[in-house]
Amino acid sequence: MGMFILRRTGVMLLTAICLTFIVFIMTNLYPNLEKLAKNEGNFRMSDAEVASYLGNRGYTQGKLQNYGEWLGILPGYVIKGIDGKTRGRCSNHGAVLENSAKYCGVIQGHWGFSSRFKEPVSQIVITRLALTGKLMFWVLMVMIPSALILGIMAGMREGSQLDRTLSTGAIVTTATPEYVSGVIFIAVFTSSAVGLKWFKGSATSAMDHATLENFLLPVITISLYGMGYIARMTRASMAEVMTAQYIRTARLKGVSFANIVLKHALRNALIAPFTVIMLQIPWLLNGVVIVEVLFNFKGFGWVLVQAASNNDIDLLLAVSVVGVVVVLLTQLISDIGYVFLNPRIRIS
Amino acid sequence: MTQDNNFMHPAAEMYASEEKAGKLDRREFISRATALGVSTVAAYGLLGLDAPAAAGGHAKMGGTIRMQMDVKAMKDPRTHDWTQISIFSAGWLEYLVEYNSDGSFKPMLLSSWEANSDATQYVLKIREGVKWNNGDDFTAEDVARNIIGWCDKSLEGNSMAGRMASLVDGDTGKAREGAIVVIDASTVHLNLLQPDITIVPGMADYPAQIVHKSFTVETMVSNPIGTGFMLPENLEVGVKASIVRNEGFEWWGYAAGKGGYVDRIEFIDYGNDPATHMAGFEAEEFDLNWESIGEFVELYDALGLVKSQVASGATLVVRPNQDHAPYENKMVRQALAMAVDNEVLTELGISGLGVAADNCHVGPIHPEYNPDVRRAPFDPVKAKELMDASGHGDFEHELRSLDSGFWKDTCDSVAAQLRAAGIKVKRTLMPGSTFWNDWAKFPYSATNWNHRPLGTQVLGLAYRSGEAWNEFAWNNAEFDALLAQANSLANADERRIVMGKIQALIIEEGVTCQPYWRYVQRHHVEGLVGVDMHIAYLPQIYKWGHAA
Amino acid sequence: MQNLTWTGTFGAYINPFFLTALSAFFLFAVAAIARGFSRADGATLLNPTPPTIALMGPTAFIGLMIWLLGLTGLAPFSIMALGNIWLSLVACLIIGLVAGFGLFQISAKLILKLVWGASYAVLVLFSVYLIVGLFVAPETTGIVGAISKQLTPTWIALGATFALSIYYKRGLGLYGKLFDSPIGMIGLALVLFWVFTALFGAGFDLIATHDPLGQVSGMKNKHPGFALRGAEAGDYPYYLFGGDTLARDVFSRAIVGSGIVIVIAPAATIFAFMVGITLGLPAGYFGGRLDTVLSFLSNMVLAFPVILLFFLLVTPEIIESGLPNYLAMVLFVFPVIFVAVAQYSKNRLKSKFLTLKFPIMMVIAIWLYLSLVSESGTTIAILPPLLDLFDVPSEILVVFVSVVFVNSPTVFRIVRGLTLDVKIRDYVAAAQTRGEGPWYIMLWEILPNVRGPLIVDFCLRIGYATILLGTLGFFGLGLESESPDWGTTINAGRKLLSVYLAPVLVPAFCLMSLVLGLNLLADGLREESLRD
Repeated sequence: MGMFILRRTGVMLLTAICLTFIVFIMTNLYPNLEKLAKNEGNFRMSDAEVASYLGNRGYTQGKLQNYGEWLGILPGYVIKGIDGKTRGRCSNHGAVLENSAKYCGVIQGHWGFSSRFKEPVSQIVITRLALTGKLMFWVLMVMIPSALILGIMAGMREGSQLDRTLSTGAIVTTATPEYVSGVIFIAVFTSSAVGLKWFKGSATSAMDHATLENFLLPVITISLYGMGYIARMTRASMAEVMTAQYIRTARLKGVSFANIVLKHALRNALIAPFTVIMLQIPWLLNGVVIVEVLFNFKGFGWVLVQAASNNDIDLLLAVSVVGVVVVLLTQLISDIGYVFLNPRIRIS
Repeated sequence: MTQDNNFMHPAAEMYASEEKAGKLDRREFISRATALGVSTVAAYGLLGLDAPAAAGGHAKMGGTIRMQMDVKAMKDPRTHDWTQISIFSAGWLEYLVEYNSDGSFKPMLLSSWEANSDATQYVLKIREGVKWNNGDDFTAEDVARNIIGWCDKSLEGNSMAGRMASLVDGDTGKAREGAIVVIDASTVHLNLLQPDITIVPGMADYPAQIVHKSFTVETMVSNPIGTGFMLPENLEVGVKASIVRNEGFEWWGYAAGKGGYVDRIEFIDYGNDPATHMAGFEAEEFDLNWESIGEFVELYDALGLVKSQVASGATLVVRPNQDHAPYENKMVRQALAMAVDNEVLTELGISGLGVAADNCHVGPIHPEYNPDVRRAPFDPVKAKELMDASGHGDFEHELRSLDSGFWKDTCDSVAAQLRAAGIKVKRTLMPGSTFWNDWAKFPYSATNWNHRPLGTQVLGLAYRSGEAWNEFAWNNAEFDALLAQANSLANADERRIVMGKIQALIIEEGVTCQPYWRYVQRHHVEGLVGVDMHIAYLPQIYKWGHAA
Repeated sequence: MQNLTWTGTFGAYINPFFLTALSAFFLFAVAAIARGFSRADGATLLNPTPPTIALMGPTAFIGLMIWLLGLTGLAPFSIMALGNIWLSLVACLIIGLVAGFGLFQISAKLILKLVWGASYAVLVLFSVYLIVGLFVAPETTGIVGAISKQLTPTWIALGATFALSIYYKRGLGLYGKLFDSPIGMIGLALVLFWVFTALFGAGFDLIATHDPLGQVSGMKNKHPGFALRGAEAGDYPYYLFGGDTLARDVFSRAIVGSGIVIVIAPAATIFAFMVGITLGLPAGYFGGRLDTVLSFLSNMVLAFPVILLFFLLVTPEIIESGLPNYLAMVLFVFPVIFVAVAQYSKNRLKSKFLTLKFPIMMVIAIWLYLSLVSESGTTIAILPPLLDLFDVPSEILVVFVSVVFVNSPTVFRIVRGLTLDVKIRDYVAAAQTRGEGPWYIMLWEILPNVRGPLIVDFCLRIGYATILLGTLGFFGLGLESESPDWGTTINAGRKLLSVYLAPVLVPAFCLMSLVLGLNLLADGLREESLRD
């Protein structure tokens, strides 16, 4: 087991390095750098101004050199710009300090400085991740129980009217993407035009204190879309378990239907949904991006959009590292959990 | 309201008689006269009128105002490219002069200014008793240092240098030797290269905030030294920011009756999706928005919010760039302008919130506008004939614009009308971050231009041959000569004749389609005063307050 | 000219019946669901004795709750009658309770019969609007009838397809079996509806009433059925679904937009499958280092948040650098390889095939590939314009490539897993002993045997790709702003959704129905293929 986790961690590191390198190359293409310079300097800068801006800030060194500096395996640049100021990677974006460190990259714990937000990247990522964590927590709290209940109820009597209805319902929710359900919810429940105004169409105030009023709609929007899929997986798994020999035996022995469902079938039926749920988490990240933009909830998804549209290199790299870690970590947990839930599987 | 200024410019009296004779409209008169240093009261007085009372008179002290606004990163005021940046720093950084929606210029950190008869020399008088919030006195030295700073072309993205062009030495890119002279602790003289009536309007523009001698960009928020009555409290770019009253600081404006009512202003960022803004308004998360656009104006009205609307000179030009084929061909350009109905663009592009314009970028809001010169008539059939005659009948035009708002809607509508006329068009949308990279160089695209007090200001910035912002790539010696003529002082009749020629020339050359003059408006909840929309979005937060 | 109402003059007679049937359907359906909780009325288990009613207590309670919730769904209908939402809600609850109590007294089978009866009544009455609408002027049957009339080509094609398929269903394999499953049939009907609408509407321009990009002054944000201002002879006199914020016809945009979605989503999915299959089969079959490398690569793409990937791929700067074109070069080569290997491995012993047919086929395939990839004016202009058969507009190419790129790794994983599973079967071993080459075994032994799950996944994935296209539109990436495709239209209209519903709800409903159809179709296929 230890060996297995170790190997997976190794793969995770390798993937993260490969991916960040690709992101690095893409964000450091010259047109992208030009965009960055104009965002930072002035929208209407001339080409020469852009070139001097970039040169002064070390962007025009070799790509590998820059990537190495970001990783922290190469010493950070110190450049005396043509405007006479000396700038260095490790010098806190102000005047160069005599005692500033030689190396300052990810390995040393420096995630860089966001050009969009003018804050250290690590700080931004932590605050925003916490906010998204809050959203995700409630999404999972709503989505998983309801999906499991729906799936089990549909699956315990496959082919029944209840099953048909619930399955169709699940299909309908999976066929309604967030950007459709979200806007419909906003229109129906929040707008003055419809007049219900039960909830708030903006989750801005939910960042500080979330209430039912300002947080329900974003949570429901994500949950609904994700729920259908998990419910269908649960249903399939439940239906399969219900036809197994041991259930049949239990029935013949006269065990009550409730006992069969709750005591015998449930545990085995939940193995598959567990993995599905874990694999669903990174995929929820998509939904989070849409919903955060839609409801103006400034979490991780919003940071992602901001970083990408402003070509904020350091931030974008950190965001992709987080993305990769989330994906691979959930995969790892799902694998380990699978082993624990299913005693027949052994990891070689 | 103090008006410590009895200066009367000779030309102002001439203007007043012209106004009375009906040759000059009131707006033009106020702009012209106050730009030369005549006080607003005196200017209205020349017309035999009382100056309009300031709305802030009914405000009470204290309270918080929350505003929906893009929260952007701070930078050197001279390089500000969005008014949203200046409105935050306006809490502690102030202006020498302010421009108001009625077209007048009022002294702020100056107490008065005077121009000589041909507007080549200005005398700036510094307001007495102004102190920096670190205790230093505000002196003529501070003013001179700031003006010299504005003239520094070597600062990347310094847009003040263009406004101060008549003080800048073309060779060094710095302030000319002897252009800015400190006479005594409260007087500065400006010696201009050529007559320039736009220099004071330039000082009222949003990047012209006055900074302390210890100013550095890195410490401007952490160590906010300024003359204003507020201080920054926090700034989270893209999320929110707030400024609070600088308790204990004796702001000059309190004594001068300027206002400074609110204790705290919060700016909350809702991104650039108006639907989100509306949701925020409905959720009562802010009291005041930055700007209401398009259909949302009606929707906000329906929500029972108070609207503040000003007719402005803000506009959009949908223009070909003459450096690119086939737009060097006059017939092609004329056809593009002729095939489009400006009334329809006003209806569909900006939801009717504006008035149709005449494709010459000078309008009724500008003092020197000549109303007799109209656009070439809308005629899609003739446009198609012209296009065919030019030999480019089959050319597919690529119309670029920003990807949202009235830019997109107007251009979509232009494209639809061109297609209806039988001219092929393809639309390309670009996000702001990319579009502004090359905004002046696209073969055919749309750019918005903000309101400027004088008609000649935009013409000088964007239409004169060789200007950096000449996105039309239009080189016309006749136009340049006419513009120089219009910029020197002359009487209204002659000036209007010159302006008429300029307008006709722009229209005849098919330089641009300039479909409308926008109204700008914002909404706020009941009970606020002084938060009116400003014609040029200038940050006058000291006027804000809760109704008494 | 008068504006159209939803059901016109004709509706005055039919509407009461229709609404009654609809309300009855909802009532019975909710009751049936509630009954579903209370007793096992579905497929009985093997136990011959009736199931205990141990679950009766809690489930009946849950059933009642769901039922009450469902009844609140009836409230909007009764608003029409009572005009006050709270009053209607209370009325609904009372009626629901009384009716529900009554319904619990009769047998579950009877309720089911009532549900089906009511749903048939709804369908019949609805089709009356549609059918009558075909033959009369728009004013008579209102918007519903007028739209039905516009859709005539689709109805004919749909009817013909269904009639023929049902008649010959025994000889049509898995496709024929679909017609045994109601779910599958509904799904197929929805999907075919959009396929035909796209074909006739966007392909032959038989359905749309106006130019999808044309703007008519005075038609901005008008409600459905609004009479066209300044209509001339030859113009269709109404905006059937109203006008959007740029005064364009919402109905025509939805119809023409279906063309874009119906082409891009399945085509992108096919390419993703080609890539996934071509790489997944050898990875699963050979295993070893090849598998490790390919799996690592696919995991890497999968580890990337899809949205971030889109943002990186679709920004103008990246497009300018030509990256999507290079990616297209790589991704589009797979179908060529697939066809070449498949044909070669099957016919490698037939000399006539190798000398004549195969080279011709390859030349055509490569020519198509080069025309697709090469684009004049971009970084990749390999073919001279004369030989270049077609140019794909760059924004469509980018969207296409992105969708293929994010879908391929998942298909790869599925194919690899299936191959691992199947390769130890007897018939594979038999083929190996026969001395067949590995590619023959993969493509002609393994692949046909795993087609069931792949077809199901294919249907689901088209739906997913449709949603992805919409997501791109939502973020304003990809297709140009005026494009009538559904995602872009939804994004453009959602700003004013709270006031003008039609410009968003119409494309949203189109998108939902297509994705729903694909999901139902996949479900039907899965069920029927499991039945073998």
